Amino acid sequence: MTTQAESATARNNNAVISVNGLKKRYTDIVAVDDISFEVTRGEIFGMLGPNGAGKTTTIEILEGMRSADSGTALVGGFDVHRDTKKVKSIIGVQLQASAFFDHLSVAETIRLYGELYGERVDVDAILEEVELTDRRKAYFNHLSGGQKQRLSIAVALVNKPQVLFLDEPTTALDPQARRHMWDLIQRIRATGTTIMLTTHYMEEAEEICDRVAIMDQGKIVQLDTPDVLVERLLDSGFKSTRVAKLANLEDVFINLTGRSLREG
Amino acid sequence: MRIYLVLTIASLKMYFRNRQAIFWALFFPMLIMLIFGLFNFDKFSPPDVGLVNNANNDAATAFIDAVSSDADPLLVLDTGNEADLREKLRTGDIDALLILPEGFGNPGSVSTIKALYDSRKPQEQGVTQTIVGDVLDSMFLQMANVPDEYRVESRFVIEPDYIAGEGQGYRGFIVPGVAAMAIMQYGLFGVVFSLIRYKTGGVLRRLQATPIGASHFLIGQMTTRLIVTILQTYVLLLVGMLVLGVSVGNGTIMNWIDITTLAIFGGALFTVLGLAISGWAKSEDVAAPVANIVSLPMMFLSGVFFPVDSLPNWLSSISRFFPLTYLADGFREITVNGASILTLGPELLGLGIWTVVSFIVATRVFKWE
Repeated sequence: MTTQAESATARNNNAVISVNGLKKRYTDIVAVDDISFEVTRGEIFGMLGPNGAGKTTTIEILEGMRSADSGTALVGGFDVHRDTKKVKSIIGVQLQASAFFDHLSVAETIRLYGELYGERVDVDAILEEVELTDRRKAYFNHLSGGQKQRLSIAVALVNKPQVLFLDEPTTALDPQARRHMWDLIQRIRATGTTIMLTTHYMEEAEEICDRVAIMDQGKIVQLDTPDVLVERLLDSGFKSTRVAKLANLEDVFINLTGRSLREG
Repeated sequence: MRIYLVLTIASLKMYFRNRQAIFWALFFPMLIMLIFGLFNFDKFSPPDVGLVNNANNDAATAFIDAVSSDADPLLVLDTGNEADLREKLRTGDIDALLILPEGFGNPGSVSTIKALYDSRKPQEQGVTQTIVGDVLDSMFLQMANVPDEYRVESRFVIEPDYIAGEGQGYRGFIVPGVAAMAIMQYGLFGVVFSLIRYKTGGVLRRLQATPIGASHFLIGQMTTRLIVTILQTYVLLLVGMLVLGVSVGNGTIMNWIDITTLAIFGGALFTVLGLAISGWAKSEDVAAPVANIVSLPMMFLSGVFFPVDSLPNWLSSISRFFPLTYLADGFREITVNGASILTLGPELLGLGIWTVVSFIVATRVFKWE
């Protein structure tokens, strides 16, 4: 279904990602069931949905890591199926299980991946951006979970990508680390990079995504800005049974332990 | 009490579901027992003795028959001329040398049998001396039983002498064998465990997200392993040299270059084989038994600890073609006989073929995650 926002995007022709009729099935499960959407240049686009909805499969197809059964996907103007290498060279990718070499340091890892793209990377600048400067000599296997995630993003930025794909970027992070990650994501977008992320944290989608595609069982159920999605629900007569609190436990936690990042 | 039972049962369940544990606890000892039980390693192995037959008479023939009857020889005789046999004793091809004098066993004479032993092989000396002494005694007794008219006396005396053999014996046999085995272990298990870890840890997948993929990384890995293989071989052979007195050919640079070349061939083969196994397997649980099933038979049947020849025919005719056999034989030719790598055509060919086969299998079964 086309909403106002979607038509506007289509007319805009500023779509850095455009997906049409994408389908992918695994033996007995249809993971991606005929989805179409566009992502505007410079937006933070979220795919929200429960586990198994097809978000990760979709993003993997766009990253060129998995092939679709049918449909088209263009990233940066390149067909993901035909020009996979080109697509890979203009995107940055953060996979769910961030995996680098245990015995290489943070700086060495960033430099190494830069080499894979033929780039002489400004390691210091990237380290500053992801706030890992003080861990530059640390081995990967000595980093905390949050630091590993930040390194993951750092590595995804070595080729100054047009599009950054983040697969569940804040899963397993504590509230402070999560908020810092949101700040980081927004800073990256401010430099002109388009960001597409998957998440199953509603709050995350609300906080940082410009538009959200809600996926369930392989289909896009709705796609719009978070505000419009909520409005539409309320217009349909929905009344939340939740008691709206002025503050919740997470606020307590942050307030008591401070908003600054503390990692071991 | 009940809690203890519950936990024990859960523990048992977990144990038996772990295939690898079952392999090591049950299958492996069984394999060892069968191998050592079926192949009579404790069978008496007669010494190789050279015989210079200057007598060529009936007594000499009688002696030879007594000592080396076909069915169960007490000594394995190698007849020839003195010069050749002395050389063989020196290089360790034979364990002792007997010289039967002219007129051996002639009535009324004292026959002095010269026995030349390798001072580094006291065991073989003892066995040979005992056997020869026994045989001569019984010959003497037989003659002594001859009826009065014919009775004449001959006596037999063994005159021992010693040379310091230069053969390397068992040590010279196993050092190159173990060096070859080490290359196999490192190539198979080293690759399997690190690559599987990369695979299950998602490292390979992350590399696949880049435009050039993960193939360059794998090649870099393999190169690193080859370098380590060469270093490992050097270390082992040096230890063999310094601690066990085993020489590497004639100790020339050429010998070491040949060793290096052979190590590269062997390392490449087992690394690619390890690549095939870990490329196919989904996890360590699956990869380890496969790596073991490949390496264990070779460890025992490829002439690492004992010659392939001592295996029953049906077994040695198969194990001759094992990759480790080619590698171990090749190393041994260089260290024991100082052979040039150019003479090792069959071994290199064997290794080459196995490498190609492994590579083809690897490309077919490789999975990145």
